[in-house]
Amino acid sequence: MSTVELHTLTGAYALGALTGREAAEFARHLDRCEACTQEVRELQETAARLALAVAEVPPAALRTRVMAALPEVRQLPPAEHAANVVPMRRRMRHRLPYLAAAACLVAAAVAGGYAVQARQDADAQRDRGVRAEQQAAAVSALLAAPDATFHTTALKGGGSGTVVASERQGRTAFLYHGLPALPGGRVYELWYSRDGSMVPAGLVETGRSSGAMLLTGGPRGADGVGITAEPPGGSSRPTSAPLGLLGV
Amino acid sequence: MPVAARRGDRSSAPHSGALESLLDRVSRGDQQAFESLYTAVAGTVLGLVRRVVRDPAQSEEVAQEVLIEVWRSAARFDPRQGSAMAWIMTMTHRRAVDRVRSAQAAADRDHRAAVHGYTAAFDEVSEQVERRLEREQVRRCLGQLTELQRESVTLAYYRGYTYRETADLLGTALGTVKTRLRDGLIRLRDCLGVSA
Repeated sequence: MSTVELHTLTGAYALGALTGREAAEFARHLDRCEACTQEVRELQETAARLALAVAEVPPAALRTRVMAALPEVRQLPPAEHAANVVPMRRRMRHRLPYLAAAACLVAAAVAGGYAVQARQDADAQRDRGVRAEQQAAAVSALLAAPDATFHTTALKGGGSGTVVASERQGRTAFLYHGLPALPGGRVYELWYSRDGSMVPAGLVETGRSSGAMLLTGGPRGADGVGITAEPPGGSSRPTSAPLGLLGV
Repeated sequence: MPVAARRGDRSSAPHSGALESLLDRVSRGDQQAFESLYTAVAGTVLGLVRRVVRDPAQSEEVAQEVLIEVWRSAARFDPRQGSAMAWIMTMTHRRAVDRVRSAQAAADRDHRAAVHGYTAAFDEVSEQVERRLEREQVRRCLGQLTELQRESVTLAYYRGYTYRETADLLGTALGTVKTRLRDGLIRLRDCLGVSA
């Protein structure tokens, strides 16, 4: 196959639409063609977006089986060139305290919360399942965003919260853990802090101590996210001192 | 790969988002990090496998293999080559396709039947994509492709057909499908604002 012909295969290669032999031939071509390599990378990122669009909520048993298998699986050592990556890894470690906290919360929220919730309420199961899938996919996408920021804080009154925001995706998620139930039907309400005023950004579903939710509206222009306890149904402006304030 | 590609221009800067950090920890045997990574990607892995493999039990099997493979080969992930999500999804698609293609290798594929199945399957994929508000952007961008681009891309990716099979199914010349896969994907890339 000529070079020009090979170059037109970037799309088919990125979509996994070549046979094994063709893919191997094209991979050899990539070693010599920088423009193709860059194009393939971008098209593979694009294909991954197509995958995100069909995310589902996996059954809990899948997690159990995968986790059970790990101790038996020997991890591969880094490839030769891995030494070059060290500076980057060092940079990443600065983010780890946030990530560790955020990640645990996501684990609790998405896996535990949504799946269990979807099963508990037989009547609303279907609707909730769909909504859970949407939320789970959106939270996954947020976590995957290259520009995602993480801020975690302990909340006055108990529990902790993490704000994950991506300007590029125009989304913010709030991940919470160990929120105590509030007396008198009061609810947890989230707020964007914009230009010194607090804008309502959604209510935490009542009766759940751990979970994840998307905020109403994106993070652009906001300098922080606050959480307060409000009367049933929520308020249009905060009526109590914040339980927590987080950056975005 | 030439050294020049590894440094300098922004487009090949290493990815350093949340998933990349998690993978880095996973590569050092951190099971807690893997739990988090699992939470972030398992739904997408399973969803993609299901599109390609169809059979629910086999799909879960393949998804399980993929997720364990992520654990096993995390150290081989190179952030200069692309994002963690793209790395995992490329692996996922390959495994799913391997499963259907090996199943088909035994019995020669019946294209007539496949063509019948194809229309329904394609509609279903479209519906799945359309139904979900969260996937609005992908839907909108797929909608901006020409029909042939969209059919080629979705048949190849969501159904795991080779471009030859895709050409057969669509009754289109091989070269045309090859080109539509590329220009369709490029248009999607631009519409979704994807950079690498």
